Amino acid sequence: MMKIFKSREFLVLVLLIVMILSVATVNKAVLYPFTLINIVNSSLFLMLIAIGQMFVVQTRGIDVSVGAIAGLAAVIFGFALNAGIPLPLSMLLALLTGFVGGFINGIGVAIIGIPPIIMTLGTLGAYRGFMRVLTGGSWIESIPQSIKSFAVTRYLNVPLMVWAVAILVIVVAVLLWKIKPARNFYAVGDNADGAYLLGINVTATRIAAFSLSGVFAGAAAIVFVGQIGFVPMQTGNGQELKAIAAVVLGGVSLMGGTGSIWSAVIGALFLTAVDSMMIFLKVPGSWNNAVAGAVLLAVVVFDYLIRRTVRNRQLAARAAEMRRAEQDAEPGQPMEARS
Amino acid sequence: MPADTAKTTPLVALRGIWKLFESVTVLRGIDFEIHPGQVHALLGGNGSGKSTIVKIISGAYQPTAGTIEIGGVAAVLSRPSEAHAKGIYMVPQEPHIFPNLSIMENLTTGLAGDVAANEQKARDLAGEIGLNVDFTAPGGELSIANQQLVEIVRGLMRNARVLILDEPTSSLTRREVASLAGQIARLTAQGIGILFISHRLNEVLELSDTISVLRDGHFVLSAPASELNAEMLVDAMLPEDFKAPAAAAAEMAAKAHDDAPVLEVNGLSGQTFRDVTFKVYPGEVVGISGVVGSGRTEFAEAIYGIDTDATGEVIIAGQPAPKRSPQISQEMGLAYVPEDRHAHGIFLEAGCGQTISASLLSLRGARYMSHRAERDLAHSFIDRLRIKVSSAGQVARTLSGGNQQKIVLAKTLAPEPRVIILDEPTRGIDARARQDVYRIIRDLTANGVGVVVISSEVGEIAEVSDRVMIMKRGRLTELAGGACGVDQISAATFDVHGGVSA
Amino acid sequence: MKSATWYKSWEFMLAVALVLELVVLGLINPAFLNIENLLFSTSDFVHVIIAAVGLTLVIMTGGIDISGVSIMGLASIVLGLAFVAGVPIGLAVVLALGVGALAGAFNGTVIAETDVNPLVITLAMLFFYAGVATGLPTLLDMMGFSVAGAGGFEAYQYEGITGLPKSFTWIGTGGIGWVPMPLIVTAVIAAVATWLMHRTRFGRFLYLIGVSMDVARFTGVPVKRTLVTVYALNGFAAAAAGLVLTAYFTNARSDLGAEALLNIITAVVLGGSSIYGGQGSVLGTFLAGLVLGYLRQGLLALGITSDVVPVIVGAVLIGTVALKIGMSNLNTRRANRAAYETERMAMTQNGG
Repeated sequence: MMKIFKSREFLVLVLLIVMILSVATVNKAVLYPFTLINIVNSSLFLMLIAIGQMFVVQTRGIDVSVGAIAGLAAVIFGFALNAGIPLPLSMLLALLTGFVGGFINGIGVAIIGIPPIIMTLGTLGAYRGFMRVLTGGSWIESIPQSIKSFAVTRYLNVPLMVWAVAILVIVVAVLLWKIKPARNFYAVGDNADGAYLLGINVTATRIAAFSLSGVFAGAAAIVFVGQIGFVPMQTGNGQELKAIAAVVLGGVSLMGGTGSIWSAVIGALFLTAVDSMMIFLKVPGSWNNAVAGAVLLAVVVFDYLIRRTVRNRQLAARAAEMRRAEQDAEPGQPMEARS
Repeated sequence: MPADTAKTTPLVALRGIWKLFESVTVLRGIDFEIHPGQVHALLGGNGSGKSTIVKIISGAYQPTAGTIEIGGVAAVLSRPSEAHAKGIYMVPQEPHIFPNLSIMENLTTGLAGDVAANEQKARDLAGEIGLNVDFTAPGGELSIANQQLVEIVRGLMRNARVLILDEPTSSLTRREVASLAGQIARLTAQGIGILFISHRLNEVLELSDTISVLRDGHFVLSAPASELNAEMLVDAMLPEDFKAPAAAAAEMAAKAHDDAPVLEVNGLSGQTFRDVTFKVYPGEVVGISGVVGSGRTEFAEAIYGIDTDATGEVIIAGQPAPKRSPQISQEMGLAYVPEDRHAHGIFLEAGCGQTISASLLSLRGARYMSHRAERDLAHSFIDRLRIKVSSAGQVARTLSGGNQQKIVLAKTLAPEPRVIILDEPTRGIDARARQDVYRIIRDLTANGVGVVVISSEVGEIAEVSDRVMIMKRGRLTELAGGACGVDQISAATFDVHGGVSA
Repeated sequence: MKSATWYKSWEFMLAVALVLELVVLGLINPAFLNIENLLFSTSDFVHVIIAAVGLTLVIMTGGIDISGVSIMGLASIVLGLAFVAGVPIGLAVVLALGVGALAGAFNGTVIAETDVNPLVITLAMLFFYAGVATGLPTLLDMMGFSVAGAGGFEAYQYEGITGLPKSFTWIGTGGIGWVPMPLIVTAVIAAVATWLMHRTRFGRFLYLIGVSMDVARFTGVPVKRTLVTVYALNGFAAAAAGLVLTAYFTNARSDLGAEALLNIITAVVLGGSSIYGGQGSVLGTFLAGLVLGYLRQGLLALGITSDVVPVIVGAVLIGTVALKIGMSNLNTRRANRAAYETERMAMTQNGG
């Protein structure tokens, strides 16, 4: 249990609550359920692509193409719906689009060996361009408005879309916990050589991470189209950087091996909440990015300071352990030769 | 237990294995076998090729030439999982523990098949081998001894017939070593073959059936343990050209210290060393003998100014140096050749000339160096240190270890230091280059430079030093009398008595 | 940095590619080869080259700074606001460049003092500087500064600041003879960066740090100071790019350059820099920037929609790196094989 309280996810959650409460002292409206639900509702898109991003970052990669994949998936989703393809099948097509986009990234990174930032920056341009080519640069409108019912219909005052994503998150969390190969993401990011020596297929794990990132971008596209009912060209624009910021904020180290799905969820909630808080504090919306950037910088630097302290303490403990071991050996020191 | 290797088919056999990295030859056509129920020990100095053999057997590296036979059948091991499938498992020196996964997950990660069955098997094997821990605790909480047991269980989970133990005892206490010896006996009784790597000669003699000594990429000795003793192993590991220093050593040791010291260290303390005090005079070589983990590298880095947390007084060429950095130390006349050449010494991907000029360029007030001036500097050192390169522009990665080390020496000597600390100056370099390094050291002392040589090779300390000091458990003591015999240094650095059984 | 013969160098190949590109485009559409046209069309994309030159120096050290695209907008809006606040335009330019250098130096300081990945730090700063750039006008309002015209400073946030003096916009729209000013500014900045890289101690430090930061530290290279300086230079270059673009558009806006990130990094990588550091050239970046810029112009002239351009740029980026990886793998394998043969020959001759 202690482990949860010491985790970065928890730290950021506490920061989030403290932020909301302190804003509440200025403006009580922040605490209205309607407001809070709204924050969650508007964080869904970011949350989903952040979850996808988490898999990639956990394996020591980075995926700056998720926004573009989401845009492309949204376009395919819109086309499918307009072509009269039933909703479930259209959703599947969107997810498939995401999968293919992510899979291509995975091949480039894991098999060809292109650095992730270069590969996904390249596909960021390619996918976004492809999206415009498909649509001829115009919005996709006239999408059957029944799609919006998910976002508008509320159950217990909470939009169905929020319920759906919440259930998805819980299902994914349980799956990640239950399915053992899910641990491979940690293992590969934590110590790729070690994972390789243990017989884990590092290449396949990396490809899977990028593919999942694409699939979640596809899911995010479905949520997006469902919420606004059409596909603008800007879909997903700039969201890739926010998704990275969200997972790093939530505790996924770019050095791999740490963080969980809750990192992505809490990180996304935090970044979305910052935007809303600005409104309640009557700070012009133009400052949102500055605040988000400052928070991200503060958290990673703070995290560095904590890690440094912990590392120094571990080194001291290790030195003490070695000294004890040597003293233990003192009565008849074993003969050693240099290797 | 004498080895009766002729009757059984080896579990693993290497036939004529060659391995080259970036044009550097590490193994030169070696043959090697591991038999069922036997412990085969592999000994050799740093860079002798030991770890490369291990990685080839465990599938992490592929040989450049030669064949691997498993159970008498030629096999290709293109990745570790293929070695696992063929019953070979390596317990690495630094166990691969995933700190954020539970201990049970650490045991079962990478295994296919039914989760519950795997976990039950892991629990059973852990109980058998004496790994009694809370399996739900995170891997980061395992002690070093238990980390090794986790690795052994991982191997047994994969039904390993060959276990490779890479220096399993280097960080264990005596009690833990004794218990490991018990486990090894149990495993061999089940017909498992073990490849054992260790620094500790008495452990090797006691635990192994066969011992092979590797030097410069080939075997110089391979015999049943029952026919060997510690002295024979030490001899085999010494470089071919090693000659016991003659009377000259004593004469040198008697050198008078008329001049002021070029380096004075008073009460230097850090995390792994305490209260280190010594002086270096111009024109002498102070040898510091110490094993890995004795604090020798850490204290050298503290003097040079890499580790800035150490406390104590350092006086370089008569000037107190309370605040040190590599830049400041070199300006004051102190230079350092680090132990880990590739990580800290040489710019592997740069041209040799660019490494050679690097220290000189880094001094405060230094100016940009024209290409011509840089080339001239490089050529003067290439001649002086007899560095074999095709041109000053040749990329360092393509050079042999010895030539790389000479490049590092050239870089270090370019600012003309008054005192120089050499940490393992001949690690992983061949016999001829080793003699060249010794010659360079002699030239330096002839010109009045003070030299400190840190080494774990006793023969080297004996050969180059005027005075010998011993670094043990973070303490530095001077060997009395000034005589530098191999035996005397060995006795002070290690210990020839003692055994494994507690 | 390798002493390969000049005609085998990456820069030479880029120059050939550039000429080929112009010839092919000219054959398809002869109007394209009008010299004046060719020169003045660079004004559309030289800001990418200026920012890419700064980034080349940073990537040389094995680092990265993606916040440059935000610094471009920040410098632009700082210049505009200073101008409407009555600061002489010359001083406003100095102020804007200074803010850029300072922003970069801040990035460098955090990167040098922590072990946090430069990508994460500059990602945070990308948001931060973009936010400051968009927020500055409202801040001035809140602080009680007043300005002639309706809507206060906030209005500038959306419309940008126009009416900049001719002496400034000349940098973006003017020219000397056939050569447009933005190209001259770019060439000067690239020349200075080339000089820094190849003719100063600082340039060597960048290279050594990129080859191995640890070895550089042990050698005595002032690593931290060098890093802070190079990120400051990158900030300066980004600010200069922002100002050139401002002058060209005759409009100071906080969101200038936000779209340029892909193009900037592609120019650097296509120019021959390795993202892992220790390899790269300013000339390469300059040429790659021209290749990419004209590619875009040419495609548009051929009637291909601008939507396809990023697809091609992305493909060029990935293709370049994949090609380099393939070539280097091939070389290593060949070298290993050759060395083994010589070693074995030597061994058999020595009889064992």
